[in-house]
Amino acid sequence: MPAQRDSVFHTNPNKDFVRSEYDYAHVERWYRLRGERLNYFGLPAPEMLDIIAWEKFLNRFTTIEREENQQHLMFLQANVQDVEHRLYSLYGEFDEILLKGRDQHGRRPEWPYDIVNLDYFGGFIYQDLSRPKAIKKLISNQVDFQRSFLLIITHHLRDGDVIGAKASFLGDLRRSLKNSTVETATRNAIDRAMDWYSDPSTPDSQRQTLLVNSFLRDTGEAEHFDVLCRPAVLYSGTGNASMTHFVTDFTFRAGTAHKTSSKQSLFELVDLGTQEVRDARLIKSAAKAPRLSGN
Amino acid sequence: MNPVEPPKEELVFSPAILILSQDLYPRKLEVVREYIQNASDAIDSFNAIAPLIDDNSEPVIKVSIQGRSLLIFDNGIGMGGDDVAKLRYIAYSEKKTGEEAGYKGIGRLAGFAVAEKLKITSTCYGDPQLHHFEIRAKDMREEISQNKKRGVIDPASDVISRHTTISSTPAADPKDHYTIVEIRDIYESCSELLDSTRLKEYIGDVAPVDFSPEFKWGTRISQWLRQDVPDYSPKTVYLSMLNGERIKVYKPYVDSMSISEPHPIAVRDPADPDNMLALCWYATKGQKMLDELRPSGKIFTVDGDGDKKRFAGLVYKLFGFSIGDRHLPVKTLWDRSFPRALWFTGEIHIIDKQVQPITDRSDFIESDARARLYKAAAPIPSTLNQQAQVISYNRNAFRDGENFTVKLQRLQDRLRDKSIEKSELKSIRADLNRRLVTLRSRVDHCSDPAIEKFGKGVQKFAASVQKELDDAKIMKGGDGDIADVARERKMTSQARRVFEIIMDTLQDYYGSDTDTYHEVAGKISKAIRKKY
Repeated sequence: MPAQRDSVFHTNPNKDFVRSEYDYAHVERWYRLRGERLNYFGLPAPEMLDIIAWEKFLNRFTTIEREENQQHLMFLQANVQDVEHRLYSLYGEFDEILLKGRDQHGRRPEWPYDIVNLDYFGGFIYQDLSRPKAIKKLISNQVDFQRSFLLIITHHLRDGDVIGAKASFLGDLRRSLKNSTVETATRNAIDRAMDWYSDPSTPDSQRQTLLVNSFLRDTGEAEHFDVLCRPAVLYSGTGNASMTHFVTDFTFRAGTAHKTSSKQSLFELVDLGTQEVRDARLIKSAAKAPRLSGN
Repeated sequence: MNPVEPPKEELVFSPAILILSQDLYPRKLEVVREYIQNASDAIDSFNAIAPLIDDNSEPVIKVSIQGRSLLIFDNGIGMGGDDVAKLRYIAYSEKKTGEEAGYKGIGRLAGFAVAEKLKITSTCYGDPQLHHFEIRAKDMREEISQNKKRGVIDPASDVISRHTTISSTPAADPKDHYTIVEIRDIYESCSELLDSTRLKEYIGDVAPVDFSPEFKWGTRISQWLRQDVPDYSPKTVYLSMLNGERIKVYKPYVDSMSISEPHPIAVRDPADPDNMLALCWYATKGQKMLDELRPSGKIFTVDGDGDKKRFAGLVYKLFGFSIGDRHLPVKTLWDRSFPRALWFTGEIHIIDKQVQPITDRSDFIESDARARLYKAAAPIPSTLNQQAQVISYNRNAFRDGENFTVKLQRLQDRLRDKSIEKSELKSIRADLNRRLVTLRSRVDHCSDPAIEKFGKGVQKFAASVQKELDDAKIMKGGDGDIADVARERKMTSQARRVFEIIMDTLQDYYGSDTDTYHEVAGKISKAIRKKY
């Protein structure tokens, strides 16, 4: 058997850092938690850089590719890296495959998975909401097998996102937070934080982070998962695209009747904020919402 | 001389593409062999230069299935941009006849008939680029067929150019050298190409792979082949199974098939005995005899699903690839005793590379070289026929000795139990004598010393039982060894005569079926004792 290569392709230093350091640590943590190699599901692109970087923690990998030539190159890369037997490559659009349950050749994902890495080309929320719908479907498929998983999402910050949807979301979140307390000081803190998020001068990345994390939490809890969100990691991707990156734990909680209540409170989630990759280091973002925790 | 470029004036027209791509491979799995053959040649070519560039990578061919795609990857010599561009040429090959397994330049067309597209990506050592070739087979075939219906026949070059794409992109590492072939969107009617179990069986059967470590004779046969077949170089072929497992494909022979000790036959040119034209190895189905696996003299069958006789007979191998099936040597070398040819399994590795296969590798091209091979290979059927006769003698000697031993033991037990009737004695003695004569004859023809020794031991045993029988006394007043129902039940002399007539008649009636006769005789004696 040919020896595997030590090095992987380097695409973008920031992306490389996120994949090889930040995500790597989480994937290793999840691997140790599970006590066995992880079944991967994702959109790795033909180079399969994430799979190659995390290979020693992975078992089988299901990939989705929507372009024929790219899929061919993925087959080539899998052979060159000597992992072709562990590759199960579906053909088509991720959202469609999730929603329809099969790819263009009629093949189904091999549910359940331990790690899902969705490296989107484009934004998270489109007009047809196909991506959130697909993620809901993903979570619902995981719960059928009562399988905890690590969800990694990367997307472009602005592409196609719906401004109106964010405003509506922030309004709903403000109401929800305020309904959870009668203390005036806390309610005032909520208003301050939500005002900050709604302010047009606040970087959109902050709103986006809050929206995605809240969406993941709500969807996960509804399907009996204890959801642990993290500050989004912002970095400048290829072509200076603004990228937002999320790593979220979904831990299945058996025996919860209606929905699970995550150990991480909603207040803590709002306070998460973001981090940024600069010079291969992770730093806290300068932009920061007024804190809710402690009020 | 430089390779010849295709002529500028078109001399070949598009229907030729259909003929070359569709009509050559009646069995769809043969498509896989064509691409493995190219991969095998690429590995041989790379092996020749590997020491020069200090490349220690293990040469491998890897076959996998993804969706409706079949993928064949090799890390052989790879192709540069010029080579990839030449993939469009039909029947163009720079390989020299007799030096590599493929040389006709049409094997790469094999995928046309089974899939919508063929994608090939390759790079060679020192080339910083990946070269991509795509041919849209379905579109091309449809266009040719439709045009033909309309009476339009395009020049082949125009059609090929319209339906192929060639491009290059930067490669990852200039030290890389590999080729991947993707037969994409394989038709439902060719789904056997997407069945990893079928592929494993087929590749093991036809490709130049090694013997399984689960075949104890594999090492010995490999030594013969490495010593006498100059191009014998088994390739490492990995196959990805649907469950994510990757297996190494081996030849089909394993110990569980009960294969007895193999033997070689050197096929030499009668006109020049120093010139070895082929090397054959053969073995027959084994059966446990005297604690060892010995040739059983039966048609070579295997357990499991599918054709149980699929490995019965020999198979020709050229550059390690099978030519034809296991009926071809029977058709070409045997003139009689066909069934006995199927007692054996094995391979005939052709060394004389002037012997060339026809395109679908189901037979050889008629030639002087083929005629010389067939003539020189005459020792194969004659040796195997003689072997079959020897096996037959040995097996019969063992079988008769074994059956006779059981019989003698049973007789001895009955004698000691005093359950033999006087009325059976004549028949028992006749049976013993007959069996002894037969066994002696079998042992005289036997060439296996262990079976011969065993047979002689049985003869001695028979003699001792015969003596015991001769010494036995008819029972009188409770004393004696042989029961006599007539005396015991005090039959009158007339009744005794009648009884003897009946028993003699029955004995004649049952003839050599002495077991049945003894059973009936026992029942009659029992009935008489019960009644009287």
